[in-house]
Amino acid sequence: MADQSKKEEEEEKENPSKSISVPQAFLVHLISGLVLAISLWVAHNLYSINLVSHSSITLRLIWIVESATVILIYSRFRIDPQQCSYLKAVVRGILALPVGALVNALGAIALGAPVGIQYLPKTINWSLLMSSFTVAPAASVFGLSWTYWQRIFAQTKPNGPLEYMICIPAHGAVIGGWFGAWPMPLDWERPWQEWPVCVTYGAMTGYLVGMIVSSGFVLANGRRQRLKED
Amino acid sequence: MKLLIIVTVMISAVILQIIGLSLFVFGFFPVKPALSGVSGPESFYSDDGGDSDSVANHTQTSLPPHLLKSLYQELSGIHPSFDRLILMVIDGLPAEFVLGKDGLPPREDFREAMPYTQALLSNGMAIGYHAKAAPPTVTMPRLKAMVSGAIGGFLDVAFNFNTQAMLDDNLLGQFFRIGWKMVMLGDETWLKLFPGLFTRHDGVSSFYVKDTVQVDQNVSRHLESELNRDDWNLLILHYLGLDHVGHIGGRNSILMTPKLKEMDEVVKMIHLSTIQTRDNDQGKTLLVVVSDHGMTENGNHGGSSYEETDSLALFVGLKSDHSDYAASPCNSIYQVDIAPTLALLFDVPIPKNNVGVVISEAFDLLTDDKQLRVLELNSWQLLRLIQAQLPGLSCRNLPSHNGFTDGLASTIVECSGSMEKMLCCLYMNAVNLHSSWKSKSLSRSKSRDDYSCTVAAYHQFLKTASEWLSRRVTDKPVGLLAFGIVTMAVSSLTLLGLMICMSTEDQPGENQRLCNSITGMHRWSVNEIFLLGVMLILVMSMASSSMVEEEQYIWHFVLSTSYVLFLRKAVQPLASGSAKSLFKLMKGQTERHDIRISSIILLLISGRILRGWHQGGVNWTYLPDISKWLEQAGVNHVRSIQLASGLLVISLSMCALYLFGSRRKITRLFGLCFLICGLLVLWHLYHNNAFVSTSYDAAIQTQIIYAILGIATIGTFVALPWFIPLWFPGTCSELNVKSTSVTFDGQCIFSLVEFRDSSYLIGLAYIICWCLLQLLLQQPINSMPILLLLVQIFSSMLYFSCSGLQHIEVEVALLYYMGMTGHFALGNSNTLATIDVAGAFIGLSSHSMFLSGILMFIITYASPMLFLLSMLMYISVKCTSYLANHQDVDLGHLAKMILGFPCLVPVGLNSILLTSYTIVLVLMRNHLFVWSVFSPKYLYVCAATVCVYAGVFIVAATEIYTCWVLALRRTKQISIR
Repeated sequence: MADQSKKEEEEEKENPSKSISVPQAFLVHLISGLVLAISLWVAHNLYSINLVSHSSITLRLIWIVESATVILIYSRFRIDPQQCSYLKAVVRGILALPVGALVNALGAIALGAPVGIQYLPKTINWSLLMSSFTVAPAASVFGLSWTYWQRIFAQTKPNGPLEYMICIPAHGAVIGGWFGAWPMPLDWERPWQEWPVCVTYGAMTGYLVGMIVSSGFVLANGRRQRLKED
Repeated sequence: MKLLIIVTVMISAVILQIIGLSLFVFGFFPVKPALSGVSGPESFYSDDGGDSDSVANHTQTSLPPHLLKSLYQELSGIHPSFDRLILMVIDGLPAEFVLGKDGLPPREDFREAMPYTQALLSNGMAIGYHAKAAPPTVTMPRLKAMVSGAIGGFLDVAFNFNTQAMLDDNLLGQFFRIGWKMVMLGDETWLKLFPGLFTRHDGVSSFYVKDTVQVDQNVSRHLESELNRDDWNLLILHYLGLDHVGHIGGRNSILMTPKLKEMDEVVKMIHLSTIQTRDNDQGKTLLVVVSDHGMTENGNHGGSSYEETDSLALFVGLKSDHSDYAASPCNSIYQVDIAPTLALLFDVPIPKNNVGVVISEAFDLLTDDKQLRVLELNSWQLLRLIQAQLPGLSCRNLPSHNGFTDGLASTIVECSGSMEKMLCCLYMNAVNLHSSWKSKSLSRSKSRDDYSCTVAAYHQFLKTASEWLSRRVTDKPVGLLAFGIVTMAVSSLTLLGLMICMSTEDQPGENQRLCNSITGMHRWSVNEIFLLGVMLILVMSMASSSMVEEEQYIWHFVLSTSYVLFLRKAVQPLASGSAKSLFKLMKGQTERHDIRISSIILLLISGRILRGWHQGGVNWTYLPDISKWLEQAGVNHVRSIQLASGLLVISLSMCALYLFGSRRKITRLFGLCFLICGLLVLWHLYHNNAFVSTSYDAAIQTQIIYAILGIATIGTFVALPWFIPLWFPGTCSELNVKSTSVTFDGQCIFSLVEFRDSSYLIGLAYIICWCLLQLLLQQPINSMPILLLLVQIFSSMLYFSCSGLQHIEVEVALLYYMGMTGHFALGNSNTLATIDVAGAFIGLSSHSMFLSGILMFIITYASPMLFLLSMLMYISVKCTSYLANHQDVDLGHLAKMILGFPCLVPVGLNSILLTSYTIVLVLMRNHLFVWSVFSPKYLYVCAATVCVYAGVFIVAATEIYTCWVLALRRTKQISIR
């Protein structure tokens, strides 16, 4: 049994490393980071709204742009291009978006996010954004392949650049959001202490940091591969 | 490591900790022997005289106010010239603004802002002082110091947490007793301190710090009408605006000058009106302008820097208008000196616990003998206080100097030696000089020289005594504190070291090593690191006052995060068993994973409901929560929820019993017994509305229930190990069925099975009893959280029953954290205000401080104790895992792992929290919130320590007793065979 799993692992290791090259990985991260920044910029300057004043609307704008970008890009790197067309990958990414949002929302509520009618739109939009950081790209790439999901999200043992690219920013977003929740109970009386403003800031920061780290990992991985090939 | 060594080290560490803690507490919160009661007529007599008792006896309480007033006037013999007092408190005004600093005049703009006050000062119509305030420089303690002359300790705040009202002897109480009418305008702190004393009042809140205008207008708007009336004797004005200006913009705020102008206008208005009333022969009025504390450059206060403690005391109208110019140099006094001065100026006894010295300039207009009388009265009062602090001190025991004859040389004695002797000697010097002066004045041979000598002697005594007394209150014995902290640190480091040693040593069992190599040798899993990190987070968060106030958020957040991490861990192993390898796995194992996942989801849900039950904390209490919502819905809903949760508690515990196996007689008997107890409690809850039932019958009923619960629990504890069936190899196969999932082959492990069973049953008995007790004692709204806590215990036991033996210390730590989180979920917080005092009298027919204290402790520490008691059940669950995994029992190993950790880990974690919080408290001793936030929290930490000790003691005692009885019975049985 151990041998078999090892073999499987080797296969999996080889598979994704073929599918994405180092410059491509950088490009993907660059685009998703830039889109995030641009959408914030657009919200702030074109519509003159921000997270503090209109958190729901701003969040909606950001998640729509970000999830579209992420699903469209990551669907190109689906692991099973033979069985699954590009369109199908996009569709499963879109389907996974609300499911992931549900998981994220439940997680947030379990950790203490406020429950109530007035918080509902904020929570929904926030969880959709979180879903586009975490679940949507993974769904586009892996589909329903349970092994991958568990390895990446339950065990955190990614291998290969593509898995790094999905795993590390997603964990970064979640951990960033977790840290972002810390100032909420303090009595500073700042508007950004409201749910979900500081959690969103934390999650976005964590996502960006995660992308930088994953770029580093991809680079290191590429160098190791090259050394091995030499 | 040997078991014996571990136990010895642990016990000695605990003893060390107790010693360190008590040393620290007695050092940090000095329990000064304050005199209770109030000063009466006896304070005008010397203690030496025999006649004081007789006078005190028949006049103490019986006299009506006006008679008491005339008695005081007659006794004191001072006969002052004032009838009315206006006490104007300007919150946060540094004396520097009015009087300048180091002999220099105040700043140009400030001087120009207060022209009238400055004119009063320069004309000699007012005397101003730098009144040094004692830390903490916060309003309420400062007001107390001004009216009582005493510097309060923290514990007297803590001991009457029920009420903020001032119970000690104080000026306002004395004035009230002689029938004064009092009016208060301004900060509502006065109303909290002296409820019911004021005939008229208009309180303003100091809560809206941004408001600097309205808050003072609300005071001044009544001023004119009050000044025109003559039905009051004391008018208190408390202006908060200047403090608010400081908080917003600091000392140099642009609002400061206008605010000073406004205050100057008020002084002018009052002074002009007092001149007018005096001219109309309505009696002379004294205006005293004081500030409670100063402020730093940034406008903060609370600490002990010069800027903060430099408060003002300004007496307007003491001297006649024609007195000599520039007679009043800017002197420095203590804030507590205000109290005795005002007391003697208005002929009331000096408050009992006063440590202040009269301001002699205030009595300059009196004749010599009256001035000496003032000093004498003050000296008697201070001497009484000193005698209370140093019992056995009697100045008459000193070698008497033959001072009653004549000549100064014989009476003055060089004072030296110990403090006690010194104080006594100084007192005797003054007394002797005074009596010789008196005898001389009778024979009309008094001289100015004698008089000034006597005054100097009195002042020397008063100054020394006052300084000694106030140092006793504020000074912390550094050596004691340091020793206490070091002792606690050593003990907690020992416990920590012991924990680390045990957890590293016990891992390399052969099975575990195998497991570790399979799972990739990462012994430090995320969960462990996180649970260690939790300690770090808690310790760090304790240094911030807002985090201490809102501690429940941290616990809930951290605990639910660790649930999520455990959920992640529970999902992990399924990875290998995905759809295709499902067949390979045993069916039982997947079931186990299902149990684990579902129990964790149950934990998450119940944890979230518990979090939402009470908002808790200090700053966000107004936000909606489930308990408020239910209370709005009505009493009937609350009651039905209470009954339903009571019913559910009973049925859940019966379920737990059934899971254990209900076939044997002893189990059935046990179940029946506790079923009856539960139904009794339910019946009682149904028939008695918790707070309506103050009747005698209800108290008796409750006492009967206490007794039955106690008998059932103690009976289970004592008897169960004697009657649980012993298990012999022959009967092995029959008994295999009886427990949930023990399937092991061949070898019967003897006493472990019985041990497991009995500790399960005893643990269950403890839990049921504790829950039923809480249902009885807690507020009805809290019965649902009790049920949820029980659900948490059972579901975590379910999880732990499937989790193997790897991380026992982590699981015990998790249980401890759950207990602490539940503490806050029951509505507790780190302020003393949330303690449920009403519940502490349920079932008590007579008032007993001790019993209600115990009940209060039981109510407050319901949840930590519940989870500590559940350790017994945890031990039994782990025994089951042990039986499943190990063929033979290495008793030493087992004891270390299964019995050691549930006792060691809570004590260790608690000691870390205690020690670090002690250090935080010492670092924060000058913080603004040291008395309002950090010290109450420290009391909670100490009480939690007591709770952990009690819980661990119960667990350990039960285990040891059970082992002993089982071993005894086994040897007997074997010898019979």
